[in-house]
Amino acid sequence: MAITRDALPELTAVGARDDLRDRSLGRQLRRYGPIVIGVLMALTMVVVAAAAPLLAPLSPSAQYADAVLKGPGAQDRHVLGTDEFGRDVFSRIIWGARISLQVGLASVIFAFALGVPLGIVAGMQGGRVETAVMRCADMLMAFPTLLLALIIVTALGGSLVNEILAIGVALTPNFVRLARSLALTIREQDYILAARALGGGQLRIMARHVFPNALYALVVVATLYIATAIRTEAGLSFLGLGIPPPTPSWGNILSEGRQYIKCCPWITTFSGLAIMLAVLAFNLVGDALRDLLDPRLRGE
Amino acid sequence: MINYVLRRVLVAVPMLLGAMSIVFFAMRVLPGDPCVAMMGDQATTEALADCTKNLGLNRPLAVQYVDYLWRSVQFDFGNSLRQGYPVSEYISRMFPHTLVLVLAAAVVAALVGVPIGIFSALNRRNPLIDYPLRIFALLGLSMPVFWLGILLLIVFSLRLDLFPLIGGGDLDGAIAMIRSGEVFTQPRDFLAAVADVLHHLALPALALGFTLAATVSRLSRSAMLEVISQDYIRTARAKGHHERAVVYKHALRNMMVPLLTIIGLFVAIALTGTVLTETVFTRPGLGKMLVDAIGARDYPLAQGAITVFTVIIITVNLVVDMLYAVVDPRITYR
Repeated sequence: MAITRDALPELTAVGARDDLRDRSLGRQLRRYGPIVIGVLMALTMVVVAAAAPLLAPLSPSAQYADAVLKGPGAQDRHVLGTDEFGRDVFSRIIWGARISLQVGLASVIFAFALGVPLGIVAGMQGGRVETAVMRCADMLMAFPTLLLALIIVTALGGSLVNEILAIGVALTPNFVRLARSLALTIREQDYILAARALGGGQLRIMARHVFPNALYALVVVATLYIATAIRTEAGLSFLGLGIPPPTPSWGNILSEGRQYIKCCPWITTFSGLAIMLAVLAFNLVGDALRDLLDPRLRGE
Repeated sequence: MINYVLRRVLVAVPMLLGAMSIVFFAMRVLPGDPCVAMMGDQATTEALADCTKNLGLNRPLAVQYVDYLWRSVQFDFGNSLRQGYPVSEYISRMFPHTLVLVLAAAVVAALVGVPIGIFSALNRRNPLIDYPLRIFALLGLSMPVFWLGILLLIVFSLRLDLFPLIGGGDLDGAIAMIRSGEVFTQPRDFLAAVADVLHHLALPALALGFTLAATVSRLSRSAMLEVISQDYIRTARAKGHHERAVVYKHALRNMMVPLLTIIGLFVAIALTGTVLTETVFTRPGLGKMLVDAIGARDYPLAQGAITVFTVIIITVNLVVDMLYAVVDPRITYR
């Protein structure tokens, strides 16, 4: 059957509709794909860390004398091989997720809880308070995160709490600066003026109006800093300044395995891969959230 | 402009002072007695008392603090507890190793990161190009430099035997030849020393450069996106300029201004990276010196290294701020 001229617009319209649906699907995928992947990866990490005793096939500290430095699959019970003490690498990596996640989340919560109120107060109050807070933040920001965390953890000694504290303090100035800049923008808004006109006190305005309005951007950045915290923890442990062995953390598994890269590269390969995937997960979530917020970077 | 420079320097001084104070007090609360670390557990009480007196640790903290600041200004950080040599001498010896690593990594990062960032921004509507490039950047950003270093060592040093496993090459020899003028009388030896340095530098520079390239590509991408949304780019296109001319003549030049401001950030990341990179590749340098000093509780050495790191970062940020004012004439500072 020949297609008549009259039938064409209808066909075109149907085609266009399909095309539009495809494009819209493609756009949705592009827009939400990374965040879905990132959230799934991060959730997997949380589940693995929480259920480590159930998921790890063996104890992370159990030493198998018959399986020292065995490669992946060499023995059925050691899927990712064993280390120099015959400990199961897979189980140690699963338990290591706990440390990484604990340090990652706790240090960011610490930095958030300390930095955000300071930043908001500095931004809202201005004057000497602002100068004092910001100069302190600038001073700390002169040190890169790892270097500052390294100084603090060296002074305090390597332990889980000290590591959280060290990384938390090192991240705090970032939150101070961001919260202050957000507060500076928000304080000029009409609703702040309205809140003042209604007799709202400074503290109430900060808590009920400035903080909730800054929260979205702060959470996005906090997600990205979880990735930084996990990477910094791994770096500290790799340098031998983090949680001391035999407690498994991805950084110290990698550091211990470094001496055996010639014969047994699987120890460093798998522990490093775990670090990378964890950092990638939180980077993906943070990035995707930021892209959704900032239309200029969306590329559409 | 001069006012701005002066004000910026005046702001940098207390910042530097504060940062140095943090270093000083952090080192004072280090667990363990430095004299015990230096002389061992077997040292007698008299010997320990002598050592404490010689190091000036029996003086009030405030006096020690002022002394530390005054001596730091003169680049005198005392002697290393372990080796006995002046810390400043150590730093002078290690600094060139770290400098060449940072420079080589910067070259790798710029050559890889900037084109990727620009290409990704210009093709942001083409997911087949933009997405793989963004994934590359994300992977680079998520990959710890010490892990990438180990992977490179496994493949290129252990499996393929193409690069050395440890060391920094004969950089000291090359520097000595430049100083003595032997570079002109024995050019062949000098070139051999340089080749040795480059041979040792390749993998560390790649490892550090790749992780930096990820940051550079992301920043270049956003800088480019920012620039191509400007009115003058639309004007250039409206005038009928070829897209290539628009990119190279208008966008690229203007993109360099925001990119310049990230040099400070870049130096901070690179210096942190050297701590890990030098440790992985067992390369001499300030970073490895710092880690070793902390491990050995050699706090004058650690203090010296951290102070130098901090001074470098603050100075670079200061210079970048000034360059920013020079490069972009639209910016005026009140």
